[in-house]
Amino acid sequence: MSFIDTELHRPIKYRTGKALDIKSISVEFDGFKALTDVTVGVKRNSIHFFIGPNGAGKTTLLDIICAKTKPTSGTVHFYPEEGYEILLTGMKEYAIANAGVGRKFQVPSVFTELSVYDNMVLSLSGNKRIWSSIFRKVTPKENDIIADVLDKVGLTSHANEKAGSLSHGQKQWLEIGMQLAARPKIIMLDEPAAGMGKPETFRTGELLKRIKDICTVIVVEHDMEFVKQVADTVTVLHEGMVLTEGNIDDVLANETVQKVYLGRGGE
Amino acid sequence: MDMLTKPALNVVKKSRKGYHITFAVIALLLALSPFLIDGTSLVQFLGKCMCYAIVGIALDLIWGYTGMLSLGHGLWFCLGGYAMAMFLKLEGTGGKITDFMQTGGLDALPWFWTPFGSFPVTLALIIVIPAVFAGLVGFFVFRSRIKGVYFSIITQALTWAVYSLFMANSKYTGGNNGITDIASVFGKTKGEANRPNLLLLFFVTLAVLVLVYLLATYLTGRKFGKLLIAIRDGENRTYFSGYSVNSYKNFIYAVSAVLAAIAGALFVNFNGSITPTQMTIGYSITMVIWVAVGGRGTIIGAVIGAFFINLCEYNFSSGILVEAWQYIIGAIFCLTILLFKGGIVGIVRDNIPSLIRKIKERKKPAEKEAA
Repeated sequence: MSFIDTELHRPIKYRTGKALDIKSISVEFDGFKALTDVTVGVKRNSIHFFIGPNGAGKTTLLDIICAKTKPTSGTVHFYPEEGYEILLTGMKEYAIANAGVGRKFQVPSVFTELSVYDNMVLSLSGNKRIWSSIFRKVTPKENDIIADVLDKVGLTSHANEKAGSLSHGQKQWLEIGMQLAARPKIIMLDEPAAGMGKPETFRTGELLKRIKDICTVIVVEHDMEFVKQVADTVTVLHEGMVLTEGNIDDVLANETVQKVYLGRGGE
Repeated sequence: MDMLTKPALNVVKKSRKGYHITFAVIALLLALSPFLIDGTSLVQFLGKCMCYAIVGIALDLIWGYTGMLSLGHGLWFCLGGYAMAMFLKLEGTGGKITDFMQTGGLDALPWFWTPFGSFPVTLALIIVIPAVFAGLVGFFVFRSRIKGVYFSIITQALTWAVYSLFMANSKYTGGNNGITDIASVFGKTKGEANRPNLLLLFFVTLAVLVLVYLLATYLTGRKFGKLLIAIRDGENRTYFSGYSVNSYKNFIYAVSAVLAAIAGALFVNFNGSITPTQMTIGYSITMVIWVAVGGRGTIIGAVIGAFFINLCEYNFSSGILVEAWQYIIGAIFCLTILLFKGGIVGIVRDNIPSLIRKIKERKKPAEKEAA
């Protein structure tokens, strides 16, 4: 399924092993520094968590990657596969999505009036132009992709229901499924376990572990149980800066982290 | 995972059979109506209603499906109307300068009206002018991510601006009076002697209405239609699913404008004149009411609404109710918005199936007892 757009993809000689490279990103909203000089590399096919107290700039960082917010300075590079590089900074959001970076928002945002199946159809990768949306039919191959994804997220039996009638957890899974249908290289999830009970959260975690074989997963999350369950790498943000980065045990052992973040909730 | 244990994906397409049957019945009734009605005035009126139904469909595409409330569709209706009216007027004068231009002090036909001497060119312009104009307006409006109430206000302001332009330049446009005393494309339609002309016009319009309905249901039945709903329910999500939402909005806005212009062009044939009144904001809002009362986002609702409201108005236009009509229509609109969001179609769609189920359930115990 690899697709090279010569205008977008710049060939590079060196190997990075990364899917995403965030370099010295800073953002200011009316004098308030939401992010200051944030530099993070995200390893390919890993589950990378961004954690931190409220207002640390986690969601803003996701917004920067998918161009919902423009950075004041700094760049984001995306490596769809080894040997190619795309500069995401300055691209339009739909172009970034088409390049292979999917985003799930904090509030489940599915198309409530459409059926689960139609939600998936709209999320498939491929030609997104008007003419194709009018004249092209869903191919058997695309139907297989949809069937496969719906099975992964456990919504096969709900395919004909309106997305609006699903439960909160099912909506979250549908949205993850919509991301997967697009066959992304990177999938970004903003609090995927928010509002879920323990069993649902666990299932979401197991789902993410399966997903990371096919793409890189970036997650913003509060639930430490969930982080412990699935995280490969954890970056702790605090007041718009990177506090520390590493695997979950190292991060939890870090004294500063305990002070600013974990100490308060006692999680 | 084992392939065999996967539950099979079984997709059921939402059927719109009920809508299509309803439309077929309406079209059939319309086709029969000229042969059942004496005199020409009611036939002429039904002709106008078909034009209104086309505008309704145009509005439903952009409002009911895409969620952008245009309060200025009278503008597009009038662009088509004036284009056709000027062609018909020039037919009457033999391509020479018109009466209102003479009164205004002109001694030659202005250059921008000269193309309307030719029928094919006029037909082309009825489509091209609104398409280009709406395309340009849409380009700037949607590029700036203007939506919701702000979009409605801009469409209103635009309509008001063009209305003022037409009023102020009476030597070019006929000003307050508009373009009057015109026959139809098929010749005079007033009076019993001209009934064949009227019938020809009537059936051409019916054919256009059927085509517009088919086009609208085709578009909305495809992935394209699902995308319009997606834009309505989650514009951000649609962007992040990789669609250029601006282009989609711009496209459907232009399509809607062209359909409204076609309706306007047909309308002047029945009406015998076009005036700036049809471009006012009040008139544009009336169009919105047709769609709301009929039922948004169904296409058939727009057709039903246009006929329902206008037939009511036709019947109430004599007697004491004529004064009260504006209040009645206002009340109907408020009631619809507050209590019946789905309009007439919504009421039928939501209640008929459960009603049938109830009747069936009532029968069942009776059968059991009998057994």
